[in-house]
Amino acid sequence: MAGGAHHHPQPRQYVSIAIVLAVLTAAEVALFYLEAGVDAIGQNLTVPALLILSALKFYLVVAMFMHLRFEKRLLSRFFTSGAILAGALYLITLSVLGAVVLF
Amino acid sequence: MADIAHGHEEGGGHHQLTGIDSRKLGMWVFLSSEFLFFGALINNYLLFKGRDFGPGTLYPVELYDIPFTSISSFVLLMSSLTMVLAHSALARGDQDQTKTWLFATALLGTIFVSGQFFEFGEFILHGLKLNINPAASAFYMLTGFHGLHVVLGILMLLVLAFKSMRTGGLSEAEGLNVELVGLYWHFVDIIWIVIFVLVYLIQ
Repeated sequence: MAGGAHHHPQPRQYVSIAIVLAVLTAAEVALFYLEAGVDAIGQNLTVPALLILSALKFYLVVAMFMHLRFEKRLLSRFFTSGAILAGALYLITLSVLGAVVLF
Repeated sequence: MADIAHGHEEGGGHHQLTGIDSRKLGMWVFLSSEFLFFGALINNYLLFKGRDFGPGTLYPVELYDIPFTSISSFVLLMSSLTMVLAHSALARGDQDQTKTWLFATALLGTIFVSGQFFEFGEFILHGLKLNINPAASAFYMLTGFHGLHVVLGILMLLVLAFKSMRTGGLSEAEGLNVELVGLYWHFVDIIWIVIFVLVYLIQ
């Protein structure tokens, strides 16, 4: 079986991953509401924290639900290179147009 | 039977030199290219969301209902669980559970899309029309195209579920279709994970 499908998680593990995803979503929403009540330093930390939580959720779905962790490396390369190239392209565009400050 | 959902490489599938079924490889390449599509739409929204389009105009951010969108996001996230459970059930050869989880995924997707229709309706009632300003247009384009992807996913899920009902179970060839539809469905979910944070939570 190409791609190492024998190592796919069991239904119980999928449910555990879904619980983690739900907790991360709850943490994101809590951060959104906490932002208004904290000082400037806290507010500056909120955006990176939200991005990190979002990246974690993204990774969990791709790696575990889409089984990319258990697939051949070629598929990982296709997918991650697409994501990285798109991200870099748009970050540069946003930076050039002044919507994001990179440096 | 385990091969039904997890791979066709040994079952006379579409081989390539890579050892990966060509349809599966094609789906991953397609999904990779979708990053550019959604990236452009997200980029477009981020460019306009902070701009001033004159006094008296309405912005999407003023109308966001975060508790409502959070629940919608949760529903879509849980649909990824039901999708992977359908795939897993098929791998075990449990056709009944496969059918149930496919229908459950389609139902959760329908709830999500209904929520999006409700949100759009509320926004339009408040005066946030598609052409009121570029920020509103960018918002509707981004979330609308995402919703369209969800609708396509629901249709594909229903085709598989009804086929399973009609024939009493999915064949080996259709097993790969479940995997491919699953990949598409999870991708739609990860795009929403990004939209939820960049559009709704980071204001």
